Amino acid sequence: MSKTEQADTESRRNALNERHVWQVYARRKYEEPLHEIGNVMADDVELAKVYARSIYDEFSWIEMVLIPRETIVTVIGS
Amino acid sequence: MIGKRIDNAALFAVLSALADNKQAVGRRYAYWCNGAPALEAAVAAAAMTQDELGHARTLYPLLEDFAQADAAPEQVEPMTRTLHYHLAALDEDFTGWCDFVATNFLVDTALTTFFEAAQQSSYDPLRQRARKIVQEEQLHFVHGEGWMRRLAHAGGAVRKTLLASLQRFWDETLCWFGPADDPVMLQLEHEGIIDADPDELRSRYLQKVVPILQTLEIAFPVAFSVEKKRWEVSQALPWERWQAASRRLE
Repeated sequence: MSKTEQADTESRRNALNERHVWQVYARRKYEEPLHEIGNVMADDVELAKVYARSIYDEFSWIEMVLIPRETIVTVIGS
Repeated sequence: MIGKRIDNAALFAVLSALADNKQAVGRRYAYWCNGAPALEAAVAAAAMTQDELGHARTLYPLLEDFAQADAAPEQVEPMTRTLHYHLAALDEDFTGWCDFVATNFLVDTALTTFFEAAQQSSYDPLRQRARKIVQEEQLHFVHGEGWMRRLAHAGGAVRKTLLASLQRFWDETLCWFGPADDPVMLQLEHEGIIDADPDELRSRYLQKVVPILQTLEIAFPVAFSVEKKRWEVSQALPWERWQAASRRLE
């Protein structure tokens, strides 16, 4: 691969790199609280929703929400 | 309908084309289940593959109920079928993720436009399937739209590749609904199997995709007719290459 091709591939890869992490919370029953089930990476919120539904589809959730990781405020750090 | 042969060549032809297109889209998607730009996108691609192949699987068995199947029974079974009534643009493997997104956004949305028009169908089996397919396709559309935004905004070579992919599918996807006087689609409308003629289907389709393309500053030859209050193609489609039987361009 030539240097130009390498640079092109690199720039394409960088352009499509996802930078935002979304924490995924869900619950199966109304009496249950939402709990964290994982996370997804996506810069586009609509894509983040699609990813969360595709990846965490092991249960029939009654509610699923996404929280951008950068909005989480640490009160007591580990 | 059980036990009774349906004699309807137009419906048989369109169901065959729908099933073949769903099957072809599913197969093309399948190659990208482990080749998407991100793990999340790969999982979504796998889920969409499953949906598309599932849609094909619910459509092929309908063909067995038709008198038209008697001439070549092997053609109603996906394993033995040798006819391919899917878009010619789906003949080849995707050359990259942009082809996946273009198919997701343009081709799959066109098929969904047809199923939306069949939600009140006089043909029960199609009506039932159409409602479920339309529901499942909502997520596919959000995926296609989201990736269109990602790739178009990436600029440079990525945007250029996306435009080339969209160009590859644009004409043939619009042709899929048939010419304005397509006897097949017109018969389906006349029999209440769908609720729109080819031009109306095309316009409903454009209403879905054009606003998004405009937001992304991607230009295609379309114009809004104030008189008819709908989007229309402003440049002649390549009907000279249109194959009516297979609903694809040669």
